Amino acid sequence: METQTKRLEILADKFLKQLESVKKFFQLLADEMFYTAQYLLKRKGTYPGEIGKQFYFMAYKSFPIVCLITFLVGVTISLTSAAQLKLFGADIYLSWFVGIAMIRELVPLMTGVILAGKIGASVTAEISTMKVLEEIDALKTMGIIPEKFLMVPRLIAITLAIPLLVAVADFVGIFGGILVAEFFLGIPPESFIREMLNIVILQDFFIGLAKTMVFGWAIIISSGFKGFSVQRGAEEVGKVTTESVVLSISLIILLDCLFAFILY
Amino acid sequence: MEIIRVCDLSVGYEKSTVLEELNFTILKGEVTIILGKSGCGKSTLLKTLIGLIPPTRGEIFFSGEKIDFHSEVSLQSLYNRIGVLYQNGALLNSLSVYENVALPIRMKHQAFKRENEEQMVYQRLSQVGLRESAGKYPSELSGGMRKRAALARAMVLDPEIIFCDEPSAGLDPITSSGLDDLLMNLKKTLGMTVVVVTHELRSIEKIADRVIVLHEGRMHFSGEYDELFSLKDTFIDTFFLRKGKDDD
Repeated sequence: METQTKRLEILADKFLKQLESVKKFFQLLADEMFYTAQYLLKRKGTYPGEIGKQFYFMAYKSFPIVCLITFLVGVTISLTSAAQLKLFGADIYLSWFVGIAMIRELVPLMTGVILAGKIGASVTAEISTMKVLEEIDALKTMGIIPEKFLMVPRLIAITLAIPLLVAVADFVGIFGGILVAEFFLGIPPESFIREMLNIVILQDFFIGLAKTMVFGWAIIISSGFKGFSVQRGAEEVGKVTTESVVLSISLIILLDCLFAFILY
Repeated sequence: MEIIRVCDLSVGYEKSTVLEELNFTILKGEVTIILGKSGCGKSTLLKTLIGLIPPTRGEIFFSGEKIDFHSEVSLQSLYNRIGVLYQNGALLNSLSVYENVALPIRMKHQAFKRENEEQMVYQRLSQVGLRESAGKYPSELSGGMRKRAALARAMVLDPEIIFCDEPSAGLDPITSSGLDDLLMNLKKTLGMTVVVVTHELRSIEKIADRVIVLHEGRMHFSGEYDELFSLKDTFIDTFFLRKGKDDD
């Protein structure tokens, strides 16, 4: 009986800790929304030039990997669906499938996952290392709010970087589909594009963009949340970095599912 | 004249108590050393004094004003009046030495003219002997240089009091002595109050006006440095004797 009570106590403790963690996550989210709005109004609280530096890292440095992955996804999805469509003699509808799937679903999802691995991990590692090296404490005692100083430039930079990344990723992904259509189904690029534009509208691009934007903010908030949560020494940096990537990807999938319910 | 008064201070983490019922004062223009064995709560006390860890009980008064650890305004007012030298310097690695020292100015006084900022930063860098290293990054500096740069950053806005957490840790005796000289100069030339957490006997002998000795989370002694040696106390005798042997 006593053992069972102890087990229940441990379970309750764990549950309460998780609940506290969720509360802290939403507190950070609310704080960041407030700090970002405050920065946009007053232009105070972040280091001059930091947004540009973060934009360079998030946009320019992410272009190659985002292009490569979305191109390969475009090729793969086209090859897989082309084989099925051919069975029904519906080869030309490949352009519909590739256009909608890439723009509305695969580009946002893949871009989100790539950014979670590349940017999310880097943000968590940087913030948690700063915490271990007492740099966060140093910022606080200089009267600087670390959650504003470190996170607002990253949130603004990702907001600026995502439209560029999504536009390029959409283009590259569809280009992969065009190549498959041309070389495996013999559909000329102009026919592919003409057919695709019959079904894909500008609204689809904006839906994909909005989804990626929300994924991007989720990545920055969750990676910041994990970075600031470090309590002990350097050994925890690796642990929270991994946790941050897992949390970001889980959030992306969850949000994507919510979007699917809302949009379809 | 007292600058900090600590009344019945207790500090703890979750279920454990680290510091219990501390009562002491820190006087203006003096160097106060917080002394004790590793794990006795020195750094926790320092973090509480600088507003990073809220006490579980008791109060801290800064120039007569009570610090409210739950009020951002009260903490910001405290942060505007203190400078902190952290154990590893805690310089931001992405910024140069100049930018690190200029950081408090840029963040608190954005309307400051560039010439004024340069003047303030170079003055502090000259005081710590790092004027020539202004363009270097923390990774290019030695441990001692990093601490001197951090000291320049801590004092760039002329705080009323500077807190130093183990300034000699990881430094050779010559560099460590140079840092002590710097702290003494701050006291003499600028009349700054300095609080140092350390267990380096050489530093204590050189710079201490007052000493606070902590033992197992409680205050064992608080008074002038000279009083410490006239005191017959087993713990203090053992502590200093053992440290003396280690130093030899």
